[in-house]
Amino acid sequence: MLLRRLGLGAITVWLVSVIIFAGVEMLPGDACTAFLEREAKGKLLENCREDLGLNRSALTRYVDWAGSALQGDLGVSANGQKQISEMVGYRLRNTLLLAFGAMVVGIPLALFLGVVAALWRDRPVDIFVSTSAIFAMTIPEFVSATLLILVFSVWLGWVPGIVLTSANAPLVEFFPEVMLPIGVLTLVMTAHILRTVRSSVIETLASDYAQMATLKGVPYWQIVFRHILPNALLPTINVVALTIAWLLGGVVVIETVFNYPGLGRMMIDSISDRDLPVTQAIALIIASVYVIVNLAADIMTMLANPRLRTVHLRQG
Amino acid sequence: MKTTLGVASTLIIMASIVVAEPSGTFRQAHEVGSGSGSSLDPISKGRVFQITEKVMSRLVRPDMEGRPSPDLAVSWSANEDATVWTLKLREGVTFHDGSTFGSEDVVYSLERVLDPEMDSPARSAIAMINTVEAIDEHTIQLTLDGSFADLPLLLMDYRLRMIPEDAGDTIATTGVGTGPFMVESFDAEGTTKLVANMDYFEGAPGVEKMEIIGITDGQARLQALLGGQIDMERGITAQQRVMLAGSDNFKVQTIPTGNWRGLIFRTDVEPFNDVRVRKALRMVADRQAMVDLVMGGGAVVACDSPVGPTDQYRAEMECPQDIEGAKALLAEAGFPDGLDIDLHVATLEPTWPVLAEVYQKHAAEAGIRINIVQVPSDGYWNEVWMQKDAVTTRWNERPADQALNEIYLSTAKWNESYYKDADFDAILSQARSELDFDARRALYVQAQEHLFDTAGTLIPYHVTRLVGTTARVNNLDAVENNAVRWNLITVD
Repeated sequence: MLLRRLGLGAITVWLVSVIIFAGVEMLPGDACTAFLEREAKGKLLENCREDLGLNRSALTRYVDWAGSALQGDLGVSANGQKQISEMVGYRLRNTLLLAFGAMVVGIPLALFLGVVAALWRDRPVDIFVSTSAIFAMTIPEFVSATLLILVFSVWLGWVPGIVLTSANAPLVEFFPEVMLPIGVLTLVMTAHILRTVRSSVIETLASDYAQMATLKGVPYWQIVFRHILPNALLPTINVVALTIAWLLGGVVVIETVFNYPGLGRMMIDSISDRDLPVTQAIALIIASVYVIVNLAADIMTMLANPRLRTVHLRQG
Repeated sequence: MKTTLGVASTLIIMASIVVAEPSGTFRQAHEVGSGSGSSLDPISKGRVFQITEKVMSRLVRPDMEGRPSPDLAVSWSANEDATVWTLKLREGVTFHDGSTFGSEDVVYSLERVLDPEMDSPARSAIAMINTVEAIDEHTIQLTLDGSFADLPLLLMDYRLRMIPEDAGDTIATTGVGTGPFMVESFDAEGTTKLVANMDYFEGAPGVEKMEIIGITDGQARLQALLGGQIDMERGITAQQRVMLAGSDNFKVQTIPTGNWRGLIFRTDVEPFNDVRVRKALRMVADRQAMVDLVMGGGAVVACDSPVGPTDQYRAEMECPQDIEGAKALLAEAGFPDGLDIDLHVATLEPTWPVLAEVYQKHAAEAGIRINIVQVPSDGYWNEVWMQKDAVTTRWNERPADQALNEIYLSTAKWNESYYKDADFDAILSQARSELDFDARRALYVQAQEHLFDTAGTLIPYHVTRLVGTTARVNNLDAVENNAVRWNLITVD
């Protein structure tokens, strides 16, 4: 089973690389026209394409790239002529800092608020939490990001609005600049998880065994902690996993708004530079993370849920 | 009592001495236009001019009125027909690495620009220089391939900065020059740190440190300014100006520039090869309305001349909208029912789509039906500009001679409207060899008037640049960055 999932994951990653390659290939212009702009004429353009090997066919270039990527060599960037593995390292770390920060704050907060909202269903607490969650989910990130900058940075002056730290600076130097981007991510993420937790807890409250326990006279809080929460929180593992994967890919907008030197902004910049090798490498990393996190979530759900385990055993 | 006064005055004197020392940090952003190809080499395509302009000097620089004034060259003179120029260099200047500046460095720096192998975009600006010779330690001689009376104007080019002899291989990362600031660390996509050069030939600068920060997103740069994380943002929009003007924490400078946006009708294809059609297309534009609608009033009306409003050679012309005149010309040219034109527009320059729509309305009054074709910004310069028949364009300020030659000369590489006019070419070459200023000016004015009669390029206005700064910034010259004396800036 695990092997089959891994195989499927590998195919997904491969498909993503093909789609990205084809997509960037279809955009008008290439690394040379992007770099040379008005100078992109005649000999200068030919020289540049010669240097970067852009005059070879798209298929040759893809096969070349895929071959070395399999050996762990992501190649060199098109215009800076730097090793991509080196460039990506710090960016990945910075994005992970952002994602990790949002997770540490967001997941406990979402679980807590979701459970509270469900237990006090349709009371003012629930209405307030649920409505705020809908707002947090539906307002686009770039709007909430801009609002947070306006309030906390421009009006109140508590934290800096834009991240000015260099990509390869030590992690500590990102504080306090990293707080606002983490805040925005937390907002969106908390809202998503919270709503799943809430409906899942409500569903479990209505289940037979919860009612049975109530009828038996088990104290309310004991029901909540022994019967409801363990069962209700299982489905949320998958949502949390999806959200984590989204954190890595979806930070593109946030990183651009806050000028944060992470993978997302690097991807945007590389697309506008037509720096195909860098774009490919980042897409590959993000796709791999997606696949791995989802796989991990499935395994965790299985370990935590005896029923799924036995089903699998009986089938096997 | 006396001693108290004495102590007080000593303190005041000491305080003023302290003030004279460079102090504080000035922060500014740049847009990382060249991505990871960014460089400190002043003549490379990826040069970050926001840094090179502060760490390196030119031979000649513009004064506050845009006229040539001494930088590393203290005086210059030409022979009778302006084909050989002799420049006297400043003495006692040292580079940031401690080496002495002399004529060999100038020869090296200029020959590097002229070297075809370098592929420098700056090469075309001074292509008329044949040889660069060192006469002695502090004198150089430039021999041109023809007469050129305004050579000092060309030497003001923002890229022509002097670097130490044989520094070509390392200059991209070291940025060694003779400017008021020295590179402490270079990181184009992050923060580049500069420190005051206490040995700067005009005296120590006003601020101790400068930080030049890479922020690609325009909105993020404005946020950074609003939050006080940077002290200056050049080129804010009319809408953003409103936000800054309402606060005591910010100041806004308005600077007339020679930068322009416009529409190109290729003069070598039907129907624009008829000079009457071209003239009609330009007569229908209500330029003042374009300034108001597109630029929020932040521009100066131009009559299809690329020469900026502050340039000493600018021709003063009038060009009101003339719908009836345009109709008559079109009828005469065989288009009594007007004509249809596909105008190609990208959002590469945010004002292009607005400009195109306003023009569409004006043109419609004379029966010209403009169909706006949206094209991608990516690859615009390569696949649309100089390819399609009617396109949008933009240019940054250039001295009159350079603007007219680079864009309209029959043989120019960037002759975007394929304008070929022997009379025009003759006027320009005559102007270059005319040593009398007034006579030369008359010729450049004549060239601009000739363009107004015959060109295929509609230049409705020259953009006024808005520079937003935090209130703590003092003594920032209200001119384009090309001419700003960065050493004078102080921060509170």
